[in-house]
Amino acid sequence: MAARMKRLTAVISIMLVMMMLAACGSNNNTANSSTNTVKEEKPSGETEKAKPVTITWWNFPSFQALDGEVGKYEKEIIAAFNEKNPDIKVNLEMITFDGGPEKLNVAIASNSAPDLIYDAPGRIIDWGKKGLLAPLDDMITDEVRNDISPAFWKQSTVGDKTVMYPINTAPFMMAVNKTIFEKIGALDLLPLDRPDRTWTFDEYKKALQAVKEKAPDVIPSGFFAKSQAGDQGTRAYLANLGISRFLNEDYTQVAINTENAGKALDWIVQAEKDKLVISGSAALAAADVNDLFLQGKLAFTINYSAVLKAQNATLKKAEFEEVLLPFPTLDGSKPKLEPYLGGMAIFNNDDEAKIAASKKFIDFVANDEVYGKKNLIQTGGLSVRNSITGLYNDPEYAYAELAREFITDPPTIADGWADVRTFWFPELQRVLLGEATGKEALDSFAANANKAITDAKAKAQTQKK
Amino acid sequence: MFATILKSRRHVWREWLISYLFLLPALSFFLLFVAYPMLKGVYISFFDYSLNNFDFIGLDNYKHLFQDKTFIQSMKNTILIVFIAVPLVIAFSIFVAMTIYKKNEFTRSFFRGVFYLPAVTSVVSITVVWASIYELNFGILNYITSLFGAEPIAWLGNPHTALFAIIAVLITTSVGQPIILYVASVGNIPTSYIEAAQIDRATSGQIFRKIIWPMLMPTNLYIIVITTINTFQTFAIVQLLTAGGPLYKTSTVMYGVYEKAFMLGNFGLASAMGIILAVVIGIISFIQFRYLGSDVEY
Repeated sequence: MAARMKRLTAVISIMLVMMMLAACGSNNNTANSSTNTVKEEKPSGETEKAKPVTITWWNFPSFQALDGEVGKYEKEIIAAFNEKNPDIKVNLEMITFDGGPEKLNVAIASNSAPDLIYDAPGRIIDWGKKGLLAPLDDMITDEVRNDISPAFWKQSTVGDKTVMYPINTAPFMMAVNKTIFEKIGALDLLPLDRPDRTWTFDEYKKALQAVKEKAPDVIPSGFFAKSQAGDQGTRAYLANLGISRFLNEDYTQVAINTENAGKALDWIVQAEKDKLVISGSAALAAADVNDLFLQGKLAFTINYSAVLKAQNATLKKAEFEEVLLPFPTLDGSKPKLEPYLGGMAIFNNDDEAKIAASKKFIDFVANDEVYGKKNLIQTGGLSVRNSITGLYNDPEYAYAELAREFITDPPTIADGWADVRTFWFPELQRVLLGEATGKEALDSFAANANKAITDAKAKAQTQKK
Repeated sequence: MFATILKSRRHVWREWLISYLFLLPALSFFLLFVAYPMLKGVYISFFDYSLNNFDFIGLDNYKHLFQDKTFIQSMKNTILIVFIAVPLVIAFSIFVAMTIYKKNEFTRSFFRGVFYLPAVTSVVSITVVWASIYELNFGILNYITSLFGAEPIAWLGNPHTALFAIIAVLITTSVGQPIILYVASVGNIPTSYIEAAQIDRATSGQIFRKIIWPMLMPTNLYIIVITTINTFQTFAIVQLLTAGGPLYKTSTVMYGVYEKAFMLGNFGLASAMGIILAVVIGIISFIQFRYLGSDVEY
């Protein structure tokens, strides 16, 4: 009996080891395949018209839900695409902004990434730098390339390869509850009579003070530092109040740690004490602040855009008119707005047929005669194409188009960005909780972030070798 | 003689085989979904395993973690949560069990249901409710304290209160099962023991210390070990209420694992964190078995 037990134990052990070896083997393959340089594939037009192909599309809620049903509009796109391309089956999987990024990381690491994704440069460029995406240059015509601003191409390109097909955009801005200012008779404190709506830090402070004095039930403005979601709002707010870039122009170092930006951060802390900024902002997330804005409890929110305005339309819990505004600047200079940029990318899953089919799908989503514009409108955003304007009969969209002149290059394409942004909100928390001055916190952020950028560059160099 | 032995051996062999066939489904699941991932976790912890990388780096992940201030802070927080929450869960559960076990069936069932409800409710729903209770500007807790003239407190935003706010939520979700087990366990203690002690004029305190507590030791051991393990793995409440902040004061090791693996895609480092946590849990569980197991009376 004991001998049999030993044999059984031995069999189980061998099975276990075999399973481990098998898994390790497959994993090594994964790593190898993913670190390989992306193979150049034939232009989509040259691919043989042959077998049916199935591709998988993971999509964040980039398009507004049709009839309140998430994914219904995407299914409509697929149905229309299939009328022209019956041989390509598109499997849709809707993911959320909350859990989607984590799900994607796991899928990529376990070699089960989707074929297609509609996302933003923050993640896409990182995947591109890691060699996980198929280049899209062969599907970009000269007409399209010349019709899109170089700033957008910069955010869609890794080295000399285009890894994201840019589709929609909108500058991130602030928003104000205009109705409150009408009620308190202080509309003249907002820069709405200026076509570009630009304004100064001092003008902004006066507007906040007016809300505090004349609308005691309303919190003048929001700020947040709980977590990294929506961090472009806090970044751009500080960068404009302190007239400083976030990173330097070649993305090698942090540039926000200036005296002015430090003072702006100190002002936020004081403003929280003076009830001009919401209390407890260290524990609030961007979504919490926007929720309060949509409930009519907040006069200004700092993380808004034409796209968010459209997406939040059904979430408004109070009747009021929201108006987009650029961030105020210390000296009245032109604001610098980080753009939201949405586009599609293809994961290189080592299947030429799937890559070719995915390119056809991207081309349909972006450039179809009927669905091209329809899709843009459904995102609530503007077209990245200079030639496509006037999609909406809405003064806020007209303003958002005008505000494109203030768009700056965002820091999201820096090396090691995923790590860099993890240092941002803990430093904001330190300041908000009185553990550091604004300048001290920004210097500490700069030290950590600079190291992360340097390490990421060094690691990328090592992997190239 | 030889034929009898052979027949007997065949019988034993067949019985052995049938027994293991019955065990096979559970064993397969255990090997596939518990043993294998555990071993794989150990294996991965020696690698720089990110989205496009799988390089052997020996003990570098462990070295990095022992120099990482946020990991050390998370470990301290986790241990503090365990040392505060587990005794409170045990004490509160025994108190409730002692209070309700003599009541009629309806009352017992009602209270068991009330205290067990958070255990079967989604953690997300619970934390949403607690987030609105703790909210600084419009939360009900600050409204109640303001009635007594207190200034509003950022319960989740203040480094001095955030961890305790998390522990309070954790306790409400952890007492359900211990209460059920204690009520059953206390109800199984023969009343003759207690009556005999009462005849000898033993006080309530003496009855609890000398009769009820020793008789509860098997249940105690189980509840202490399980509650300790579950508390070490606190994650969802932290993720949903504070995201580890402010200033990493509520960050736990499991939250760190989530952050490193799923947000940053650094699976090797996250595995190393998981292994260190498993070792800590193993040591504490061993100590609990060693010192509480010896007092168990069956």
